[in-house]
Amino acid sequence: MSMPSPATSELDLRGAAPAPVFDPATALVAQATRGYWRTVLARILRDKVTVACALLLLAIVLLAVFAPLLALADPFKGSILRRLLPIGSEGFLLGTDELGRDMLTRLIYGGRLSLVMGITPVINALLIGAFLGVVGGFMGGKINTLIMRTIDVFYAFPSVLLAVAISGALGAGIFNAMVALTVVFIPPVARVAESVTTQVMSLDFVEAARASGASSFTIIRVHILGNVLGPVFIYATSLISVSMILASGLSFLGLGTKPPEPEWGLMLNTLRTAIYLNPGVAALPGAMIFMVSICFNMMSDGLRAAMDVTQ
Amino acid sequence: MYCSLLLKRARLALASALLLAALPAGAQTTLRIGMTAADIPATTSQPDSGFEGNRFAGLTLFDALTLWDLSSAEKPSVVIPGLAESWAVDAKDKTKWVFKLRKGVKFHDGTAFNADAAIFNFEKVLDKSKPHYDARLVAQTLPRMPTLKGATKVDDYTIIVETSEPDAFLPFNLTNLFMASPAAWAKTRSWTEFAKAPVGSGPWKFVRLVPRERLELEKFTGYWNKNRVPKTDRMVLIPMPEPNTRVAALLSGQVDWIEAPPSDAIPQLRSKGYQITSNPYPHTWPWQLNVAPGSPFADKRVRQALQLAVDREGLRRLLGFNAIAAKGVVFENHPWFGKPKFEVKYDPVTARKLLAEAGYGPGKRLKMKVQISASGSGQMQPIAMNEYIQQQLKEIGVDVEFDVIVWETLFNNWRLGAKDPAARGADAINVSFAWQDPFFGFARFYDSRMVAPRSVNWGWIQDAEMDKLVAKARGSFDAKARDIALSKVHERAVEESYFLFWVHDVGPRALSPKVKGFVQAKNWFQDFSTVSMQ
Repeated sequence: MSMPSPATSELDLRGAAPAPVFDPATALVAQATRGYWRTVLARILRDKVTVACALLLLAIVLLAVFAPLLALADPFKGSILRRLLPIGSEGFLLGTDELGRDMLTRLIYGGRLSLVMGITPVINALLIGAFLGVVGGFMGGKINTLIMRTIDVFYAFPSVLLAVAISGALGAGIFNAMVALTVVFIPPVARVAESVTTQVMSLDFVEAARASGASSFTIIRVHILGNVLGPVFIYATSLISVSMILASGLSFLGLGTKPPEPEWGLMLNTLRTAIYLNPGVAALPGAMIFMVSICFNMMSDGLRAAMDVTQ
Repeated sequence: MYCSLLLKRARLALASALLLAALPAGAQTTLRIGMTAADIPATTSQPDSGFEGNRFAGLTLFDALTLWDLSSAEKPSVVIPGLAESWAVDAKDKTKWVFKLRKGVKFHDGTAFNADAAIFNFEKVLDKSKPHYDARLVAQTLPRMPTLKGATKVDDYTIIVETSEPDAFLPFNLTNLFMASPAAWAKTRSWTEFAKAPVGSGPWKFVRLVPRERLELEKFTGYWNKNRVPKTDRMVLIPMPEPNTRVAALLSGQVDWIEAPPSDAIPQLRSKGYQITSNPYPHTWPWQLNVAPGSPFADKRVRQALQLAVDREGLRRLLGFNAIAAKGVVFENHPWFGKPKFEVKYDPVTARKLLAEAGYGPGKRLKMKVQISASGSGQMQPIAMNEYIQQQLKEIGVDVEFDVIVWETLFNNWRLGAKDPAARGADAINVSFAWQDPFFGFARFYDSRMVAPRSVNWGWIQDAEMDKLVAKARGSFDAKARDIALSKVHERAVEESYFLFWVHDVGPRALSPKVKGFVQAKNWFQDFSTVSMQ
């Protein structure tokens, strides 16, 4: 598995309309930006695939969040006598797992952890990586070299290997798995942020802002972040699917969730030996992982298309 | 590019299939086995990968002075003469044993097996001054024979073996010291080179080894025991750690035999005409408790309560009945079982009562942490099984938390003991183990000296009474007296419940209908010589 390369994500600098250089008043910038986001939203709504994916994800998220309020079976209580019932059994719509627990309930509850483990590391990496990238790109020189070359070291390892190595060293558990994934995702995010920042820094309006007496903080806030956040955000959404798959992988290996907590990766592991007996049930957690990560990927694509004003 | 590679492979497979089909009947027969190991076990004469390593890369290529009798599926297997014809302990000094070696035995390279060759193989793990001493071999050997001290030659076919203390378990332990050809080692003077073309005196000769892919062997017609000259011409051993891969390989005809098919795949395999063999063997799947002072499990009542809280029938059902309910370290009908005063069974009422006596109840639930693995050699289906036990213990008021770690780390933690930081405060550890000899079954767990770093008394059992019983067994040189002494050790082990005994493995194997004549012994090791292919 490889992460989407930052080099291939479209870093369109015209995307976020830069503020007029001669007027440092942010009100105008904000207005311009609001208009831009309205266009983006309108474009997304016209894109049926993206909307369908978003609705599906929304449904899964809502189900996961409100799982305890739905009248579902106990996700932990099983009976060995009714183990591995097929899909469509009476009282067990999606069958039962290897310990006779209701699969539908466990898939819904499993979504809670799987989604948290997929999204949290990306948000963390987005904040830390964007900060490092913008600082590196803005400061340039030795500081840039220090930050970016350190990040290159992490690039030397395949992402799966790095995640397994870090969570192996920290020990199993949800928190440690999320730390490991955050570390894995910081370098690519930082690299995207740094390359956009470096490009923006060489543009005339930054020079002009500086000449007009704007402070470094204002330049970063207004001119740089405005241009950097778009591409970085799109790139980060494309990482969510990778993160979900990696997180499931860690749980599959026993480095993520602790049993009996339902989590799709772990469920896949314990059900895989039943693939010859009850392939439908055994494939369900995998199907969930597949569906959700595809949806995130499609959404990321849709978002990128919508934010690209050249189209 | 990838596609063309696939095409090429498919063509190659087709070509080889046609070639195989074109071979006349009665041509060379080959037995192909899918092992559970992730790699070919070391062929240095002291295999790694645990007892599976010995099964496939030890006892096939090599012999030991003493061997296990693997000829019967009914009787518990016993130690029989191998490259030693007989042995006896010195009546005056019980640390010295005289071994009479078998005459006329030849290694695969034609050189003779004699006292010099035997001494050479003792030195490879004991004598640091010798060039053939190798620390890697030591690691696979000495933990299985901790009292072994040295060996000296008396004449060409007699040697004296010395132990550091009187130890009646020595003949068992020596089944793990394999005899390699000194002449083959001398060619390159390196065990690494030796492993590329190993030479022993076992029933199978080395042909070819591709790391992580295959080990090919052929029958050794000059084997000293004519009854054990293989009935198949060649044997190919293929590492396949993933259980579903093994099943797929068997179903597609890529192998003729797989080790440990997943229990949920067995009904399907059986319905397709595959033979499923199984036999209880000395492999048990327990929780080993931390009983150090201060632990809730220092209290015998708590340990016994847990012992009574789990319905082992449910575990058996989970495993497709490919297990037997454990009532102790060994099986109920085993000579070492004895007559324990405490019966391991499902009795939640008594379990709750015992817990209440120990001060636990609805207001004060007992919390415990168990280190388990997500998979691993011999660990059966660790997550599902542990979750089942967790559910059952919850019913009597015990909340179990799992610390899931990688199998290799768990195995390492087992050696580090419960007091090591690596245990992260765990109250129990789940490592399945072999108990086929008295050291493996008892001494390494219950002897108070066997705590870390010496061996795997993980939970710091410091029981003076137990020490006495173990010492007595170790000093009983008569087989009957030794078995009685071991049954006393076992009785106490059950009564004290230092381990929670869950199930014994029955070692399921799935064989193609073409495989004939396999007798699955009640042992970790199996004899492939009797197997023929039709």
